[in-house]
Formats: sequence, structure tokens, C-alpha cells
Amino acid sequence: MRTFDRRTLLRAGAVSLAAVAGVPILAACSTDTASTAPAAGTPTPRPGGTLRAAFVGGGAAETLNFLMGPTGLDYVRARCMHGALGVLDPAAEHGVRYGVLERIDVSDDLRTYTVKVRPGVTFTDGSTLTARDVLYSLNAPVTLGSLPFLKPPSQNFDLAGARVDDDLTLVLPTLRPIADGRLVLCQSTLVFKDGTTEFTPDIPTCGPFALTEFEPGQGAAFTRHDDYYGLALGGGPYLDGLELRTIPDATARVNALTGGQVDFVSDIGPVAARTVEGDERFAVAVSDLPYATSLSFGLNLAFAPFADVRIRQAVKYAIDREAIVRNVFFGRAFVGNDLPSLGFGDYADEIEQRPYDPDRARALLTEAGVGTIAVAVTTAPEVAGMAETATVVVENLKAVGIDATLDQRPTGQLFSDFAAYVQLPFAASYTPPVPPLSSYAATRTAGSPSTFGFDRPDIDELVSQARGAVDPDQRREAAVQAQRLIWEEGNQVIPVFAPSINGHATAVHGVRDEPFSSFEQAYLA
Amino acid sequence: MSLLRVAALVARRTTAAVLVLAVLSVLIFTVTEVLPGDAVGVIAGADATVSEREQLRRELGLDAHPVRRYADWAAAALRGDLGTGYVGRREVTEVLVDRLPNSLLLTTLAMALAVPLAVAIGLVAGMRAGRRTDRLVSTATLVAVGVPEFLVAALLVAVFAAGLGLLPEVSLVPLGGRPWDQPEILVLPVAALSVAALAAAARLLRASVAEIAAAPYVEAARLRGVTGLRLAVRHVLPNAVAPAVQVTAVMFAGLIGGAVVVETLFNYPGIGYELQQAVANRDVPMVQGLALATCATALVLLLIGDLAQLALSPAVRGRP
Repeated sequence: MRTFDRRTLLRAGAVSLAAVAGVPILAACSTDTASTAPAAGTPTPRPGGTLRAAFVGGGAAETLNFLMGPTGLDYVRARCMHGALGVLDPAAEHGVRYGVLERIDVSDDLRTYTVKVRPGVTFTDGSTLTARDVLYSLNAPVTLGSLPFLKPPSQNFDLAGARVDDDLTLVLPTLRPIADGRLVLCQSTLVFKDGTTEFTPDIPTCGPFALTEFEPGQGAAFTRHDDYYGLALGGGPYLDGLELRTIPDATARVNALTGGQVDFVSDIGPVAARTVEGDERFAVAVSDLPYATSLSFGLNLAFAPFADVRIRQAVKYAIDREAIVRNVFFGRAFVGNDLPSLGFGDYADEIEQRPYDPDRARALLTEAGVGTIAVAVTTAPEVAGMAETATVVVENLKAVGIDATLDQRPTGQLFSDFAAYVQLPFAASYTPPVPPLSSYAATRTAGSPSTFGFDRPDIDELVSQARGAVDPDQRREAAVQAQRLIWEEGNQVIPVFAPSINGHATAVHGVRDEPFSSFEQAYLA
Repeated sequence: MSLLRVAALVARRTTAAVLVLAVLSVLIFTVTEVLPGDAVGVIAGADATVSEREQLRRELGLDAHPVRRYADWAAAALRGDLGTGYVGRREVTEVLVDRLPNSLLLTTLAMALAVPLAVAIGLVAGMRAGRRTDRLVSTATLVAVGVPEFLVAALLVAVFAAGLGLLPEVSLVPLGGRPWDQPEILVLPVAALSVAALAAAARLLRASVAEIAAAPYVEAARLRGVTGLRLAVRHVLPNAVAPAVQVTAVMFAGLIGGAVVVETLFNYPGIGYELQQAVANRDVPMVQGLALATCATALVLLLIGDLAQLALSPAVRGRP
């Protein structure tokens, strides 16, 4: 059985990023649309056809206002309609492949970012994308309201102090010196026209596809945006049309694929993947690093035993991570090392992999001398494999003498009462792929409830240094120091990173998962 | 039956229905309040900060006292405004207008399939009460009533979709269209929904037919030489149907609510499907609106059942 080797994959970079889905490999140049020869065995991109894809969705709650869209499909749909500033790609220069931007220049003191808009990017109404549109789009999460994951630009840049120098140049001052501002800007920002307040089906958009139909809870239909800038660069979109359908139930999604009603289904889970790949008409595509969701457990420091670092370490050594990858994900996952953001540039790859060492766990428990620890591990099947991972963890804990029990909640119940959630002693969680330092600064510094009481100003300071030091070596050193402290003393156990597992007809190629599915380079062959 | 009497019945039932809906609205609101968590937890996810959660709570109006929120909602509802869903910010009325016809189509087709078959099966079994045919029908319908809808649906999919490939496994309505634009997507959900209704109605009718078939006037007809289909259809069925109409209306109303499972399994865009999503999202206005609309539809069907029973039953028609 094949398992993913973390270091190999990190070295593999862009090649591994695209290989499973059969995506044409990108050249070294950091643009999102540049095309080169397809990988060996992958058919040449062929224009034409309509691809039908199915996602979990969210019923009537689905919305074209992706700023407030609660489901992944809202963002997938938005990526089809709207141009992106870029996407995160550790293999690309500065960790970013640009979309509607030509480049981002950073001042030597890390206080000013100059954003250059790609010339000739047009909206569906024929107008041209300008720096003013980009600034408006960066401000929109604050001015129009948005979900937290879209707010990092406003949390790191002084957008009120931004300056439009000309149609294609935007100057952004930072709130404090930061080196990872390109990642912050390109993490999730999509662009729309200056002055947009309502996201209706007929607004002008500059993405690869133009929306023709949208029914919340049912789906959306698109045609190719024939003036999309990527076409002039020799890339996609190749498809004439695209349909994104909502099918919340996982079994129904797989049935729709096998029954020929759709050509691509997202999030089929590791078990269904085995069924799908057993049929020669279909194939399974797995996202590569860094686009994998971390499955984690928070050890609450308010629960007395976990205040002792030796107990926390014992828990970490007690968990058989390889067994989780093997038995829960059938090899389609990445072993975690109790650090978030595996695969991103700032991830401390040099820290040794924590082994499965139940003897050491028992020794640490004995050394701590706290007697029998009884604890409930609370989880829910929020993402594929999450509940099953907790089941393995409970058995591992029992094996070293911890009286662990499984407290499994129904889907959607884990975070629904957040105040109660942060009181749990041993709580499962998951985090979509995000760069480590900026996300730590936003969510895991002192005062954030999701830290479960882990309050370490020294680590906060190291993260701040890692983001703000002018010297790259100093930044790296601080980043590694911070992560080593988290690795040694932290209260977050991250045994595994689960990739997106999608199923598709063998004729489908080029669908990227980064981390949301992108159909810009997709084609039927 | 005078028009005045019908009008009085309609007025009484309507008043009662309004009171029932008012009580139900309080109950539904209370239940959604008692459930752990709220829409903020669903929307914000795990990594939102406390201040972001509080801001979102304010934006949604969830920082107000529950009594105040209910009062605001009720006042707006009386003006015909069922509010806007917390998650996705879609108007509840818009969702209702879009989805209710789909659910009514599904349940009407299920009833249209179930009722004639139930009449035929109930008539055959009731006229042969105690014989082998009756025992066979009674056993089969008892089993069918007891099998959960999700199991029926799974079996139908396994045989007719995955196995024989005759029908689509998922009811994907064409974008911009309606379910009847692609009738084949309706077959399996309708079949799944009608099995239990068919079985229950057949059992009810069988009991009614068996009772009527033993009545003296039926015996007298037999002595006059009336037998077989003519006896069943002309002399037994008209009197057996009336008591079953009311129960059929109850079943129809039950199907509207019971379609949640079938609609979810087949991805059919009806009220049940949206209700399930709204509950998962802790979207109180959406749950309130959809649940009340379901209840109101059920109450209307019950009223129609009452009127139909009045029209069909000489005994009831004769009551003061």
C-alpha cells in the first residue's frame, strides 16, 4: 500500500501538485495560467465540452456573495466567476502563483507592498480590471462583511492608507513589517468591480467562466469567458461549459458519478475512493501538499493533567500516526508532526518526525505521577476520516494506560456551541490548508479560545519576528524556533493531514485542488 | 349539505389551524433555541476569534433576547414576512415559493400512485377476508409499513438504478428547470415515498371493505345475485371509501413532512431537503418558515379531507 512521504512530496513541489489530477505542469514562471507540455501519459488539453461536477453545497444557504458564503462550493463557484489575485504554491517564487496580478514588490523594510495588476484583464462587460478594483476587493471583507477566512488582508495591511498610483499600480502599507504579505494577499482574495455591493448573477466578472444560471441548493451553470486573460497566455479555460451541482449526501454524490449524471465529484472520502477506483471508467484524484486539511486534537490546559507538559508529550508519543494513515485513509493521507501547515514554505521541515513510541509515553506518564487519567475524546464526522481518526487515538491512549473514551457528536454539532467546545478536555478539530505564521498570528496567539489555554508570549514574539525580520535567515530561524517550542510543549496534536479525495470520469483532466477545486485548466479528453 | 354548514366548518377549522400554527411556531422556536449552538458556530467555523464571533452574532441579531427575537419574527410573520435565513441570507418566502411546489408534486404523485393501488388491493383483500389472498396481502402490507423509507429507497436504487441502470440514482433537476422537465428523476423518489402510504392505505381499506362486506345490505345484494366485481364496486366500495378518505388525507399530510428522508436521499429539491439543511445550519428563521409552511400545508390537506368525507359519507352529511 502506498503512503505519502512528506519530505519527498515537499521536494517534488509543483510536479506532485498536479500529477494526480493530470494537470499540465506549470513552468517556473509564477503565473496561474501559463501552460506547458502535459505530463507524461496525460492527454493534450482539448477545448470543448461541458463538465458536470458535484459538491457538498449547503442548500438554500448557498449564495453568490462568496464573502459570506458558508460552504466550500460558494468559494469554488466564486473562483470560476471572479479572477483571483493568485494562489498559494510553495514551489513557485515567493510561494505564490499570480492570477490577475503581474507581481507584488516588497520594500526592503517590509512596510510597503507594491501590487502590479496584469494588463489586459477584462470583465465580462468589456471593461478593464484596474488597481482601484483590486483595492475595493481587498477592502470588501470589511466594508461589505465577510467570513473570517477572507479577512487576513485587512488584518495585515493598512488599507485605509493604500494608494492607487495608476490604473495598474496599487501601493499597500502594512500595519507592521511582514515578509509573508504576498501569501496573505493571494491566500483567498478574489476581485470584482469597484463599487460592487450586491453579488447578483448579472454583475460583470473577470474569472475564467461567466455565470449563466444559479439556483441555491441546486447548482450553477457557466460558459467560457472568451476574453479571459489566461487564454491569451496559452492556458485555459478549455471547457465550453461547466455545471457545478449540489449533492450534499456523500453516497448520492458517488452514485451520481457512477450513474453518469456527473463527471466529477468532490470529497468522496477514502472508503468510497476504493470503490470508485475499482471501476475502470473512473479515477480518483487526491490533492497534494500543501493542500491537505490538518486533523488535530486540542488538549485543554484547564484539564489538570494536560497542564503538565509531560502528559501532553505522552499523548503525542502514544499515537500511531502511520496506522491512522494506513487504516483510516488507506494510505491516502500524510503523517503529521504536531505542527500545522505541512507543505508550506514556512513549515519547519527540519524538526524530526515524532515517532510512535508507546513505551516512552508510558514512561512520561509514570514520571508525571498523576495516576489514572480519565478523559473523553470528543469528535464528529465533520470531514472525512475525522471520527475514525479519533477512534484510533482512543485505542492508542488506552494502550498506554489512559482511560480514554470516545465522545462522537453528529455532523455539524462539534463547533455549533463554541463556548462549550472550548471547555472540552480533548477536542478534535480540523484546519484547511493555510500558511503557518500568518494563521498562527490570527488565530493561535494569546486570547484566542481555540488555543485551549495555551498562552505563550515567547512563541507569539518568535512568530512576530519570523514574519517581520528583514533578514530571511533570521526569519527562518525564528520560525523554526517557534515551531520547535510548539512541537515540544504545545497542546495541539496533529497526527494526520487529510487531502481532498475526489472522483472523476477518466475523461476528466486538469482539475486542480488548491485547496478549493479549480476548473480553469480542466478539460475532457 | 348546506353551503352554510360547509362555511362554518371551514371557519372553525381555519381558526383552529391558526391557533395550532401559533403554538407550533412557539414550539419550533423553543426547540431550535434549546439545541446546542447557533448559526454563528456553523458560519464562523473553528478558527474565528471571539470578537469575530460576537460581531457575526450582532450582525445576525442573535445578541437580542430570545423572547424579543421571537416577538420580532412573529410580528413580521403576521405581515407576511417570514424573514431571511441566517446562513446565506436568502429570504424564507423565496425558498418556500421555490421548493413547496416540488414537494407537493412529489407527494401528489406518490398519493396518485398509492391510492388507486391501495383501493384495488384493499378491495381484493377485504372481499376475501380470512382467505389466503387476504393473509398474503395483510402480511405484505404489514412488512411494507414497517420498512423505513431510507431502506426502501436504497433497495430501489440498488435494483433499478445501480443494478439495471434503468433510472437515475440522484434526482438532479435541470438547472433553470423544474422536476417535471425530466420526469424520470421523479420515479424512484415517488416509488420510495408511496410504498409505506400504499401499504397503510391498503390495510385501512381492507379493514373497511371487510366490515362493509359483512353488512346485511351487502348480503341482501348477494342473495339478489349480485356478485364479484359488481358487488365490490357498486355496493361495498362507496361505503368503505368514506371512512378511509380522512385517514388518506392524514397520510397525505404525513407524506409532506415525511418526505425529508426521501428528498435528502435522492437530492430532490423540496421543502424536506431544505429543512434538513436549515436544521444542520441552526438557521432558525429558515427552520421556522419551512416547518410552519409544512404544518400549514398539512392542515389544509386535513381540511380538504374533512370536506371530502362530508361529501362522500351520507351518515356524516346527515349530522346536525
